[in-house]
Amino acid sequence: MHSPVDQNSKAWQFFRTITAAPLLSILLSICLIIGFANAIPRLEKDTRSDAFMPKGHPARLLSEQARATFGLGDPMIIAIINTGPEGVFNPHTLQLVEQLTRQLQAVNNIDPEGITSLATENNIIGSAEGMEVEPFFEYFPETSEAAAQIRSAVMAFPLYVGTLVAEDGSGTLIIAEQVDSDLAQSTYKTLMALVATASLNDDESIHIAGEGALSGYFGAYIDADASRITPLSALLIIALCFLAFGTLRGTLIPAFVVLATTASTLGLMATLGVSFFIITSALPVVLIGIAVADSIHILTEYYEVSAQGPQLKPRELATITMCRIWRPITLTSLTTVAGFFGLSLATIMPPMKYFGLFALFGVSIAWLYSLFIVPALLSLLKRRPSRSYQNRAHDVDTGKAAPLDFFARIASAIGAVSLAQPKLLLSLGILTIIAGMHGSTKIELDESLLAAFQADEPIVLANTAINKAFDGTYFLDVMVTTPETEDLFKPSNLQKIEALQAHMEQHPDVKGSTSIADYLKQMNRAMHANAPQYYRLPESVDLSAQYFLLYSVTADPTDFDEIIDYDYRLANIRINLEKENYKTIAPVVEYLNLYLESTFNDDAISAQPTGRTYINYAWMQRLGEGHITGLSVTLSMVFIMAAISFRSLGAGFFCLTPIIVTISGIYAYMGYTGISLSVSSSMFAAIAIGLGVDFSIHTVERLQTLIGQSSSVTDQTLLALFPSTGRALLFNFLTLASGFGILVFSKVVILQEFGTCVALAITISFLSSMTLLPAMAKTFKPRFLGYHSALAKH
Amino acid sequence: MKKLLLITCLLSTLSLPLWAETDKTPAALNDSATLPTGEDVARLINSRDEGVFVSRKLSLLLSDKRGKTRHRETMSYRKYYAGEKRTVIFYLSPKNVKGTAFLTYDYEQPEQEDDQWLYLPALRKVRRISAADRGDYFLGTDMTYEDIKLETRVSTTDFTFHTVGPCEINGFPGVEIEGQPIDQARARELGYSKTRSCVDKAIWMVRRSQFWDIKGELLKTVDISGLEKIQGIWTQKVIHVENHKTGHRTQLTFNDVDYQRPVADDIFTTQSIKRGL
Repeated sequence: MHSPVDQNSKAWQFFRTITAAPLLSILLSICLIIGFANAIPRLEKDTRSDAFMPKGHPARLLSEQARATFGLGDPMIIAIINTGPEGVFNPHTLQLVEQLTRQLQAVNNIDPEGITSLATENNIIGSAEGMEVEPFFEYFPETSEAAAQIRSAVMAFPLYVGTLVAEDGSGTLIIAEQVDSDLAQSTYKTLMALVATASLNDDESIHIAGEGALSGYFGAYIDADASRITPLSALLIIALCFLAFGTLRGTLIPAFVVLATTASTLGLMATLGVSFFIITSALPVVLIGIAVADSIHILTEYYEVSAQGPQLKPRELATITMCRIWRPITLTSLTTVAGFFGLSLATIMPPMKYFGLFALFGVSIAWLYSLFIVPALLSLLKRRPSRSYQNRAHDVDTGKAAPLDFFARIASAIGAVSLAQPKLLLSLGILTIIAGMHGSTKIELDESLLAAFQADEPIVLANTAINKAFDGTYFLDVMVTTPETEDLFKPSNLQKIEALQAHMEQHPDVKGSTSIADYLKQMNRAMHANAPQYYRLPESVDLSAQYFLLYSVTADPTDFDEIIDYDYRLANIRINLEKENYKTIAPVVEYLNLYLESTFNDDAISAQPTGRTYINYAWMQRLGEGHITGLSVTLSMVFIMAAISFRSLGAGFFCLTPIIVTISGIYAYMGYTGISLSVSSSMFAAIAIGLGVDFSIHTVERLQTLIGQSSSVTDQTLLALFPSTGRALLFNFLTLASGFGILVFSKVVILQEFGTCVALAITISFLSSMTLLPAMAKTFKPRFLGYHSALAKH
Repeated sequence: MKKLLLITCLLSTLSLPLWAETDKTPAALNDSATLPTGEDVARLINSRDEGVFVSRKLSLLLSDKRGKTRHRETMSYRKYYAGEKRTVIFYLSPKNVKGTAFLTYDYEQPEQEDDQWLYLPALRKVRRISAADRGDYFLGTDMTYEDIKLETRVSTTDFTFHTVGPCEINGFPGVEIEGQPIDQARARELGYSKTRSCVDKAIWMVRRSQFWDIKGELLKTVDISGLEKIQGIWTQKVIHVENHKTGHRTQLTFNDVDYQRPVADDIFTTQSIKRGL
């Protein structure tokens, strides 16, 4: 069945050396694993979406500047909702607002100066004689009349209606800025615990949402889920190995390589100080899949050799096995490395770049362990045949056709179909590609942190409740810059800000906005005895300046810190959005940019979008183009590697075909089922290529061997592929598909989608490698497979 | 004028016999027998002559935590009418607030709300302003209305004082006293849970004060410097306040301090602030 091993070959010499001191190398490898694993606890998590932006990116720098100037970050938003007839304006609920505000001031990581609520804000009201600035809670309301007075006071302050209190009075917000957004996760937890202790009446409820809560909870949510799912996936994969070989070594050796690969990769990440990003959660599963694949192929070969040569000593057995299998394993590792290298080259997003680089490292580790440690282990173990391969011993002994086990029969059945109907299969392949091209036109780019959560999660419910009552809790900030100190007192500049807000509020997805202009209008009206027609901007520089002075008569000197800088040169306009997903924010940001460029910006004043929403827009926008480049680069890298390995351009195309069919299949699936292209789903292509190419390479490599050895190539020659390599690939496929498939049970919606896409991709690349490639070989008889030499021999 | 002097004399004489008694209190025995009690120190501070009227240039230098500054020049007059204190501040610069004026009547009885008016030249109107709370910040500075009202004094109706020990600021030996609000309501109203002051032993003026907020965290530090005797009255030239919570700072500088040039009564009227200097 196999060519005899040349004992003078370099491979023989090499693996003899490897197996010479097996204990030493095993000991060394265990030390290495322990060394790397030791570093893992130092691994830092970085689940913020800021991480998707390279550090020096202009959008990120600007946002950091805005954050430093105005103290605005990713706030925690606490909504107190009262469904009773008076809404929140009753003594009990207002008491709750006051109490929570005071408790929040004592919470670690909450900026006590950065809390906005009815209990902290000042009312600006006109009186017959002048203007008054006093807290809404100047006298704490003990009676419902007093509460009703607060209601009318707040409702007369347009700036706060919809932003601080719901228009119908059914809710009010406490907006709390964090000192350090990196601590969002623990802060969110603290707030949830704090809110749980509040005593609520039947009609009262408290919700926590906002960008801070979202990113805080997101990290914890994915984290918890990944640490639940990843071990499950590892167990399942290992269990499948037992199913494949039915032996302890057949189970423990792959488990050992899996352990070595994941521990080394995560350990290296920790050592190099690379953070564990959201998408890194998928890395362990990918590594497990890769690590186990090499072992499956080695063990398949091992048991076949073992069945054929019962007289072989363990060391010889290990050496022969490795001599036969090192090449396909090396080729698949190289192409996979090329694929992940392509991913890291093509993307600018650090999490993806690191994903590519560390997956690449993991593949190399798996390869090293498979080539060095697995033979050492095997050479120590007494020959003990696997029941799954025992029958094949008869093959040698009796010379009869070998009865195959269940899995080998499945693989053979697939082979029989493909060779019987090559044209049908080729047409199916072409059809898939066409469907993919059509489906891809329907794929929309979208990304949303909120969409990752299941519909009954508190954060999703909070978001829905808050957005129903308020102007939205996601903010697009606009940083306004003027050249000179106090330029923002100029009526012309203030009018431009007012016009910008008016323009933005025409957009259907914009729910409101806040700027210094709103406060000045309120003051102007107050100074004119609350006459509604004076709700307009002051008409002179001096008046603006004097209003600020007037305001400062009784107010905190840092009151306006969040909307205007101390020099009155920079201002922040906060635009409220109801949703945070890309499809909503992209048109708003573009609408704003167009206005800024065409109407707003000039020498006297200019503005730029910034803040969380803009950062998200900036990196999400790159997902689309990034995906296409990533795909092309990855495909080219794999193509080049395959072509070099087989020393043939044709081989490159040949190996690429199942991958192209796979990607087309996924595009069709995404397009027709409405899965949008997001961070997680855009990763599928790189992973599908990295993992899927292995099926092609193994198939092509074995076909080359089979055809090269035959004097005449018949269907029988090609069919020999299936019981051995085919069976190994079947298990390779089963382990990967179930490893990723188990992500379907994840609580995180995006992980479910990711798992589905990758499992589907693996299925398609397995099937197309097993069927399309033999069909193509039969139909096109490519020279690099050995057809030429076989024909010549014939 | 007469009444004020009388009170001062009364306080001074009252403090003398008390002195002997307080020497025997445990706090005094603990530390050094030479240190007066907190209450005595408070009385000594408050018995100091401030002059019945004063005119002075006051410049305000305000800066935020990023070091950006606002600079305001004002002319200010203050006059005591028995226990009632009237103050007027005229803004001289910057240009866009020039002519703005702020008039305050602080009444002796705490229950009587103070009266305040502001003249905004851009509106050409005098506006009455609702009485500020004692804990409200004053004109964008880090000082509250109560701080401003007390000037160099301490409030013995809001705080009880005890002596902590000796202290020294810039080589001037002093007595450190700690003030505790008399009750929670007072603490909340003023915004302070504790104060500590280093009081110069020679002239009984506070050289440094620290304030803790109601959460018990250090809120601000007030440094008083440039003490000099002007026309027989010890006068502070510079007050520097740093708010540790917000990073905001205030520097008040007093120049051309004059306790002798008469201050006309009609300067403390709404007509006068509209007319300007």
